[in-house]
Amino acid sequence: MVAAIPSAFSNRSSRALIPAVLLAVGVLLLPFVRPDRPFELFNWDLVALNKATWLAWLLFTSSAVLSVLSWLRLPMLARGYALIGISSGVSITVFAWLASTSSYFGFGALAALVCLLLVLGVGLSETGLIQSDPFIASSIVLCGIFVTLFIAFPLFVVLRESIIVNGAFTLKKMAETLSSPLFMVLENKFTPRSETTIVFGIATAGAVLGFGLMFLRKARVQLLLGTTLAGGVLGFIVGAGVFGRGAFATSLYLALIVAPTTVFFGLIFAILEQRCRAAWVRRILSIVGILPMITPPFVLAFALENWFGAQGLITNRVFGVDTNYFKGVTGVAIAQILAFTPIAYLTLRGSVQGLNPALEEAAQTMRSNPWMVFTKITLPLLRPGLAAAFLLTVIESLADFSNPILLGGDRSFLATEVYLALTGRYDPNEASVYGAVLLVLVLTILGLQRAWLGNTSFVTVTGKPGSGNFSMLPRWLENTLQGVLGFWGLLVAMLYGSVFYGSFVKIWGVNGEFTLQHYIDFSGTGLEVLARTAQVALVSAIVATLLGFLIAYLVTRQQFFGRSILETTSMLSFATPGTVMGVAYVIAFNVGPWLLTGTFIVLVLALVFRNMPASIRSVMAGLSQIDKALDEASTLLRAPSSTTLARVLVPLLIPQLLSGIVFAFVRGMTAISQIIFLVSPGNLLATVLMLSWLEQGNLGRAAAMSTVMILGLLGMILLLFAFSKRFSRNGTGLEGIG
Amino acid sequence: MRKKIARRGLVMGALALAAAAGIVSAQQKQVNVLCSVTLPWCEALGPAFQKETGIKLNFVRLSTAEGLARIRAEKANPTFDAWFGGTGDPHYEAWSNGLTTFYKVKDYENLRRDLRFAVGLSYVPIYQGILGIGINPNVFKAKNLPAVKCWSDLTKPVYKGQIQIANPNTSGTAYTFITTLITLMGEDKAFDLMAKMHPNVSEYTRSGVAPRVALGNGSAAIGIQFMHDMVEFKKQGFPIQIIAPCEGTGYEIGGLSLIKGTRNMENAKAFMDWAISPAAQSIGPKTGAYSLPSNIKTPVDDDTPNPKDFKLVTLDAKKWGNPTVRDPLIKRWTSEIFPLPR
Repeated sequence: MVAAIPSAFSNRSSRALIPAVLLAVGVLLLPFVRPDRPFELFNWDLVALNKATWLAWLLFTSSAVLSVLSWLRLPMLARGYALIGISSGVSITVFAWLASTSSYFGFGALAALVCLLLVLGVGLSETGLIQSDPFIASSIVLCGIFVTLFIAFPLFVVLRESIIVNGAFTLKKMAETLSSPLFMVLENKFTPRSETTIVFGIATAGAVLGFGLMFLRKARVQLLLGTTLAGGVLGFIVGAGVFGRGAFATSLYLALIVAPTTVFFGLIFAILEQRCRAAWVRRILSIVGILPMITPPFVLAFALENWFGAQGLITNRVFGVDTNYFKGVTGVAIAQILAFTPIAYLTLRGSVQGLNPALEEAAQTMRSNPWMVFTKITLPLLRPGLAAAFLLTVIESLADFSNPILLGGDRSFLATEVYLALTGRYDPNEASVYGAVLLVLVLTILGLQRAWLGNTSFVTVTGKPGSGNFSMLPRWLENTLQGVLGFWGLLVAMLYGSVFYGSFVKIWGVNGEFTLQHYIDFSGTGLEVLARTAQVALVSAIVATLLGFLIAYLVTRQQFFGRSILETTSMLSFATPGTVMGVAYVIAFNVGPWLLTGTFIVLVLALVFRNMPASIRSVMAGLSQIDKALDEASTLLRAPSSTTLARVLVPLLIPQLLSGIVFAFVRGMTAISQIIFLVSPGNLLATVLMLSWLEQGNLGRAAAMSTVMILGLLGMILLLFAFSKRFSRNGTGLEGIG
Repeated sequence: MRKKIARRGLVMGALALAAAAGIVSAQQKQVNVLCSVTLPWCEALGPAFQKETGIKLNFVRLSTAEGLARIRAEKANPTFDAWFGGTGDPHYEAWSNGLTTFYKVKDYENLRRDLRFAVGLSYVPIYQGILGIGINPNVFKAKNLPAVKCWSDLTKPVYKGQIQIANPNTSGTAYTFITTLITLMGEDKAFDLMAKMHPNVSEYTRSGVAPRVALGNGSAAIGIQFMHDMVEFKKQGFPIQIIAPCEGTGYEIGGLSLIKGTRNMENAKAFMDWAISPAAQSIGPKTGAYSLPSNIKTPVDDDTPNPKDFKLVTLDAKKWGNPTVRDPLIKRWTSEIFPLPR
C-alpha cells in the first residue's frame, strides 16, 4: 500500500468516533442478552440497563470517553494506545461477564463487541501497529475474528472432541472407533478364506507393479521408492474396498474409482469444447456446466435408481437384471461420476484454454503425428490442471453426503458415518473421530498436492490467449467424443425428465395416471420451508459475498502481519467436508455465551463460511484484472481505502459481486451436508425435508419439490446471465466462477 | 456517482432489515414439537392444534433414534418442548436418563389400561403399532416363491436377497424385531435366526419405514416393519400384502413425552392434553397412519391393524427400554450379524 497513512501522527479527530457513539446506542436500545435461543430486536426487559446495570454504565462511560478522545485533536500515537487499551479491556470485560453469568449474547452485546473491535482496529492503525488506514485495520481485525471464530475454532473443537471425552484426555474412543467394524474390517471370520491375506497380497502386487514400471524406465531411487509406496497403498485400497468393509476402506475405494473416471470425462469435454467444429457441442457443454449447481442433492441419485436400480426401467424391464447390485459402491460411484464430471470439466477448462497453440504447431511442423503431439506436448502441459481436477474430485467424493446416504445401501462411508454417529448413536466423540479422520485425509491430499505441484491453486485463471490456432481433432476422434457427449446429454436429459415425469404421475413406476396431487401435498409444508430456505440462502449469499470481497481485497491488495494465515484459514472451510463442519458447529455453538444452535443465524453462518471461499476466489480473479495503478491514483488523491473500495473497485467488480451473490444463493439452496445437523423447529430447510420424504417413500412429493427448485434456480441463473451481459464491459461477466 | 452509492446503500439497508425481520420470529404463543411419526401426520398436527388452541406448533421430524440423540445433545438447552410419537423404547430411555418428565395428561384414565400399565409412569402411550411381515404378491408370483407364514420361514435360502429390514443402530423398528424374537425364543436362538436370515437380506435400511419403498416397487419381496406403515402404502396402490407371523408378533407403544426443562411448559402441556384427545388421534388415519389409537374413545379406522386379530407376545417395555439391556444387544448385532457374508 502506497502512502496509506499520509497524515500519520498529526493531530486530528479519529475515525473511532462513529463506532464509539454507536456503541452507546446499541447498548442502550438493543437487548443485551437473550433468555432463550431466538434473537429479539426489541425487548426493553433485556437491555443492558435492566440486565446488568454496572456493565451498562461501564459501557456508556467507555463510549463517552472513546467519543471524546476521538473527537478531540490529540496526538495520534498516544490516543491510539488509549483506544486499544480501553476497547480491548472493555470487550474482555463484556466477554467475561457473558461467560461468568452464562448468559447468551443478544444483539446488544453483539453490537457492543463489534463496535469495540472497530475502535480497536482504529487504534491499531493510529499507533502504526497495523501499517494501514483505520478502515483497513478495522476490517483486518473483524475478518480475523470472524474467521477464527467460525472456521478455526469449530475445527479445533472437532479435533479436541476426538481425544477428550468427558473432559479427560483419552485415546480409548479413538481406538474403539478405529477398530470398529463400521470403520474398517478386513477379516471376515465367517468365510473360510482369509481376506487379510488377499488384501495384503494385492497390496504387494501393487507395490511390485509400481516398482517394476519405474525400474524399467530407469528412474531415480527417490521416484522408485515413491511409486513402490504408491502402488502398495493403491493396491491396499482396492483390496480393502473389494474384500473388506467399513467406512474407511469403502470411501477411499470409491474415491479411487470416481476420480480418474471423472477427470477422464472432464478432459474429453474440455478438449471437445476447444477443438470441435460443431456448435451444438458448446451449447450442450454450457448446460452441463450449470446443471450440477442448480440440482438439489438426491435428485440424480433417485432418478438414477429409477432407471438403473434393482427395479429400474432399463436394468430390470429391458435387461431383466434382478439383483440389488445398484445399492452400494456401484450406484454411488455412478451418481458421483455424473455429479462431479461437470466440476472436473470446469476445473480443466481453464488449463485447456490456457494452452499455447504455438507449441503444438511447432511439434506438428516437426512432423509429429497427432498422437505424439497429444502425449508429448498437450498432456504434460495439462499436468497441473489434471492433478488439480483429480484431487478436487477425490475431496468431493470423500466429502459427498447425499449420494451415499441414498444409494450406499448398508455399506458405510466416512461422510455418512459422521452423520450416523452423531444423529443415530448420539456419540459426539465418535462423530468427531470420523470427522478428524476425514479432515486429516483431505488435508493430507491437499498437502500432497502442494508438495507435488508447488503453490498452484485449484483455480486456473484463464491466461492471455496465445497466438495461433489449435488444429481441430481428427474426424474419427471428434465423432467418437461427440458420441460420448451426446450419450451423456441423453442420460442427463433422461434423469431430469424422469424427475419431472415422476412429479406428475400417481406412483412412479407403478401407476402412470396423471395427477397434481404431489404438488398439492408439496405446497402444504413444502412452500413454507422453501421460502425459509430462500431466506437463509439469500442472507448468507449477501454476507458471504461481501465478506469474501473484503477478505479477497485485504489479501491481494494489502500487506499486513498474518495475511497468509487469514488466506489459508478462510480457504480451509472449502476443503473441510460439509458433515465435519456441521458437527463442528453443533458441538462448538451449543453451549456457553455463543449459543447459536437452533437459530436462523447458525444456518446462515454455516452457509456463509461454506460459500465464502468461492466468493474470495472469484473476487481475486476479478481483482487481478484491475490494475493497481487505479488504487494508487485514488490513494494519491488522498482518498482513504474505504473510498477507493467503494468508488473505484466495487463499481468495477459489480458483475463479479452480483454473480457471486447469485451463485452463493444457488449453492445455499441446494446445500445439505453442512446444515443437516443444524435445522430446528421453524428453521427447516428444503433439502432436509426432501431427504425425509425420499426415505419414507414420498417420491412424488420429492420430485415435485425438485422440479420447482430446478426450474426456479435455472430461471435465476438465466436472469443473471441476461443481466450481467448488460453490466459487464466485455460481455463475459461470469469468468472466474466455477 | 454519489447518488448511485446512496441508492446502493439504501438497497443494502433494506436487505439487512429484511434479514433482521426474518431472524426475529413473531412473538406468539408457540410449542416446539419433536415429531417422530410419519411426515404427513406431523404436518397435519400444526393446523389442527392451532385451530383448537391458538398456539402455533413448530415441528422437526426426526426418527425416534435420531430424536433421542437430539434431545440428549441439547440436554442443557432443549429446543423442543414435547416429543410426539415414535417407538416407546427411546421415550422410556429418555425418561430414565432424566431427559423427559412424566406428565399425567388430562384424560389419562381414558387411555387403554394395558398400554398404561406396560409403560408405567414414564411416558404417555398414544398409539400401538404391530410389527408384521409385508410381501409383494407380484414378486412372489413372478419368482414362484413359497408363502411366508412365520418368522422362521425367513431363514429359508429361497428368499436370498429378497428381504429388507432396518438397521437397529438407527431404527427402533429393527430393535423391536430383535426384542420380539428374543421374547419368543431366547437370545441365542434369536441371534441364530437373524444370522440365518442375514443372507436373505438385501439391505439394512437406515429408517424403519424405508423397507416399504423397496417392497412397493418390487426390489424386495419381503419387508419387515410396522403394519400400519404398510397399510398406508397398500392404500396408495402399491401391491403389498400384510402377514402376521404364526409364532406371534411384537409391537411398539408410541410415546408422548414432555421434555425436561422446557421453557414453554404450559403450551407443551396443552399440546399433550390435546394430542391424546379423540379428535387429535383421529388425524393419524386421515394422513395415512393406521396405528391403533390409545384413547379408548377414539373411533378405530377399519383399515387399522387391530391386535384382536393377531397373536401378540407380551413385550416388557421397561426391560427393553433400558439402555443397559439395549446397547449390548445392538452391539452384538453389529459385530455378529452385520459383517456376515451374504
